[in-house]
This record gives sequence, structure tokens and C-alpha cells, in this order.
Amino acid sequence: MTDLKQSERARPEPIKAVPVRHPGRWITIAVLIVLIAMFVHVLVTNDQFRWRFIFLEYAPGKRGVMFTEPVLEGLRGTILLTISSMAIGIVLGVVIAIMRLSDNPILRWIAFVYTWFFRAIPRLVLAVLFGNLNILWDRIGFGLPFDRQIGHLFGIDNLNTQFYSVKASDLLAGFVAGMLALGLSEGAYMAEIVRAGIQSIDPGQAEAATALGLSRGQVLRRVVLPQAMRVIVPPTGNEVIAMVKDTSLVAYVPVTFELFFQLNAIKARTFVVLPVLVAAVIWYLILCTVLMVAQFFVERHFGRGYGTTGQARQRLRDIGVEQGGRIPAEGGST
Amino acid sequence: MTDATAEMVRADNVHKSFGSLEVLKGIDLVVKSGEVCCVLGPSGSGKSTFLRCVNHLEKINAGKIFVDGDLVGYHERGGKLHEMKDSEVARQRQSIGMVFQRFNLFPHMTVLQNVMEAPCRVKKENKSAVRDRAAALLDRVGLGDKIDSYPSQLSGGQQQRVAIARALAMRPKLMLFDEPTSALDPELVGEVLDVMKDLARDGMTMVVVTHEIGFAREVGDTVVFMDGGVVVEAGPPAEVIANPQQERTKAFLSKVL
Repeated sequence: MTDLKQSERARPEPIKAVPVRHPGRWITIAVLIVLIAMFVHVLVTNDQFRWRFIFLEYAPGKRGVMFTEPVLEGLRGTILLTISSMAIGIVLGVVIAIMRLSDNPILRWIAFVYTWFFRAIPRLVLAVLFGNLNILWDRIGFGLPFDRQIGHLFGIDNLNTQFYSVKASDLLAGFVAGMLALGLSEGAYMAEIVRAGIQSIDPGQAEAATALGLSRGQVLRRVVLPQAMRVIVPPTGNEVIAMVKDTSLVAYVPVTFELFFQLNAIKARTFVVLPVLVAAVIWYLILCTVLMVAQFFVERHFGRGYGTTGQARQRLRDIGVEQGGRIPAEGGST
Repeated sequence: MTDATAEMVRADNVHKSFGSLEVLKGIDLVVKSGEVCCVLGPSGSGKSTFLRCVNHLEKINAGKIFVDGDLVGYHERGGKLHEMKDSEVARQRQSIGMVFQRFNLFPHMTVLQNVMEAPCRVKKENKSAVRDRAAALLDRVGLGDKIDSYPSQLSGGQQQRVAIARALAMRPKLMLFDEPTSALDPELVGEVLDVMKDLARDGMTMVVVTHEIGFAREVGDTVVFMDGGVVVEAGPPAEVIANPQQERTKAFLSKVL
């Protein structure tokens, strides 16, 4: 038997074994089906939902509460506010994260103070505060700093060197105030996310790029940030989704150009509570679903060059385990 | 190439400390143009640190390093040293290629993009010309068929050969190798050493920190043995490897040979 060559041996029958049974899964499925049936039953049979009111007609001659004109306007406001404040937040976040990791101690300190301040203040407080900041100044504009004080020294009363200015209550109110409050606050959180991303990259990457003669800016832009994006994107998706919901805080600025404010107004006018809230829930669900799909594609884009590694590494590990060997060391930059 | 007897690298009494730990305690070294200098020594002897000082990835605390006659990292004006700006240091590094122990390829770029990055971004060369040169270099290191792969799809030996091609794409006059085969499986070491031998035959000036005694003996014009932050022994391989004079060199070689 022992001198029989491998190729001459008959290949044994493929294994046909009885698989392990999972009764727990079947019980869970049964329980879930009952719960879902109960939920659907409530949705369909309970009159309090008033689906007609939500989807078709909330008052004679008007569309359903979800699609009525002010609510759609509010939805537009919510989307605009989310996009603009996240844009401010992401740009500020990248700048502040780079400042925080800079060699320049002054920049590091500014970045630290910024993050400290804007993370400490609740967004609700910031929204109210920015709505009322125009109490401080009449007009906001560009000119010499301390112009009035300097003028006073030379005996000129009310020296005004501002060459461009706008009325503070025009600039710092409503939408702009809300956008700044949310955007500046978001910048502080994004800064920490970006910093974590940059610090997660192997220092050897920056070193290799430096050794090739790339400048500091190029190292960051071409080598470090694109790789850091893999770490930055998932928490940023979190932040965008949180921002969609936090836009409802600008009602305190006050901004009326916003989804929840508009729905609330209808609730107050018609005294119909639950259907209005259900309409809000549905809109927020739709918005977040769209964002999650977008996040999937962004993640796939920045994952290029990595996708196969994960699988390859898993394969290697499986082989290693099969052979009872050590898990192979992961090589280099991969 | 510059004149054959010119000094490509000259280190004068180089000292380097990390905090209170003195890693280099006065290194003197000359590498002539077109020479291959292999640096041997136990780990912690300061050989990698020295290599990183040559292209100013580490700042030295005392002494001077010259590459092709230029002081590395400083200007000397009126007997006083002035630190170079980042952009000037970057300019100096363009003519010094470096290959790392752990390859450090850019994982988000394809092999071809890795090689093209520095000539396109740093020297702003014409893209199609760089592409042709990069493809030719990758051909030379035997990876002409892998130009569109990502580094993660390559073996360690292939990655290291890409890293060599990436450094060569900047047309350096000096190549630094920091233990280029130490992270490789034994069966992949040969392919990388072959590429390096090929480079040496072409007259590239190379400083190679390595544990491959065979390579040092075969390819090295000079072999430098370092221990404890000083050069213990230096000379042609026939002397340093075959007939070491110092006790420490003998002890080291008896363990690795």
C-alpha cells in the first residue's frame, strides 16, 4: 500500500455529511414574522395614522402633508443647509487637522483652541447664539482694525475706514447664521476625524514620498490624504447623516426654511399630531437612505488598491491555519 | 557620470543622537563615483540611521555629509551653517534615490503610477515621455507585464523591484538601499539582488545596508563594518570579509557566515 503512487490511488467519495442544524434561526424567524405582521397590522388598520392626510390630501384642495408646498420648501432648505454646512465643516476640518499636525507651534495652538471651543458648545446653544450675534455690531465690513480708537487719538470723531460693509442683521441672521453655527461646529469634529485618518497612515509612506523629492504639500495631497480617505469616509458619513438631523436645530436661530419647522407649523395649525410626525420620519428615512447609498460608492472609490488585499490576506490566513502554520506576516505597505 | 575618481559621498565625523542616545559616534566614510559600498553590522549599530542621514531624512548633530560635493541639508556662508529650506532639501533629494526595507510603495496607485509620480509632480516632466521611461524601467526590472497592477497584488520581491524602478525614474546619481531584502521570503531575495547587480554593472553609485554577505563579497567595491555607532573596519571585501583584522568583525562574520 505504501509504495502506491499518489496518482494511482483512487480519489475518495466527496464528503456527504449531515450539516449542523440551527433550530435557533428558525425560532428567530418565526418570532420576527409575528412581530412584522403585528406592525403591518397596526399601520393598516389603525385610523390614527391617517395615511390620506400624509400622502394625498391634508386639507380640502391641498396635497398630502408630505408633499405640500411649504414642506417641500422646508425639505429643500434642509438639504441646502446640510450640504453647505458640511462643505464648510469638511474644508475647515482638513485645514484644522493639518494645522494641528503642523511643525508650527502657533498653528497647532490655534487648531487646538478652535477644536476645544466648538466641541464644548452644544449646537443648540451655538444656533441661538449665532442668531443673536448681530446684537454686537451694527455693520460688519472690511477696513482698518480699531479705526475709531485710532481716530480718537488724533482727535477725529467717529473715524470710519470701512470700505465695504453690510448691515449685521442682514448678514448674521436666518440661513447664514444657521449655516455658520452648524458648519463651524462641524469643522471641529471633522478636524478630529481627518487627524485620525492622517495619523493612521504608515509614516513610511510620507518618508518614501519625501525621499523622492516631493514637497510637504505634495506628500499630503498626493500620498497621505488619498490613503487617509479610507479611514475618513465612514465617520464622515456618520457626520453627514447626523447633520441632516441637526439642521432641525436652526429653528432656534430662527430659520423657518427647514423641514421639521414646516411640518411642526402644520401640526400646530391643524392639531393633527401623529401623522405629521410620521411624515417627518418618512422624509428623514428617505434622505438618510440616499446618503448611505452615496457613501457606499465613495468608499468603493477610495478603497481601490485595497479590495483584493483584504481577500488575499484572508486566503493566506486560511492556508496558514489549514497547514497548522503561523499566520504569515503582512508585508510592507499593504 | 562624473569623473571616475570623484567622491560621490563623503562623511566627515558624523554624529547623531536621538535624545540622550548617541547612535552615530563619528562616522568617516568616502564612496567614490561608480562604486558600490556595502555597509554591514549587527542591528542597532547605526547603519540604517547613517543611510537616512545621507539624504537628510534625519538631521545630524555634528559633522558634515557631502553628496557629489554639495553639503547635505545646509548652506555654508562665511564659515556659518544655514539650514536649508524644505524646498531646497527636496531639490537635493531628487538626485538621491532610496529603497526601503518595507518597500513603501503607494498602495492607492498602480505600479506605473507609482513610478511616474515623482518625475511628473516634482520635475514636471512631459507625461508621455515619463510613461515611456517608466515602462522601460519596469521592463528592466522584469515587471513589464505588471504595470497596471496595484502593489497589493504583487509579491514582496516584485514590490521591491517596483520600488527600485520608482527611485530610478528620477535619474538619481546615487542610490541608497536600506536592507532591501530583509523583509522578503528567502526565495524572493535573489530576484531583487539580481536587479541590484545589474545596476552596479551599469556604474550606478550605491550605498547598500545589508545582511547579504554573499552580495557584499560579490558586488561590493568596499565593505564597511559598523558596530556601536562607529566604523570598525572598512576596505575591499577581500580584506574585510575574507581576512578581517578586528575582533568585532571576526565575531560578527563568524555568526552570519
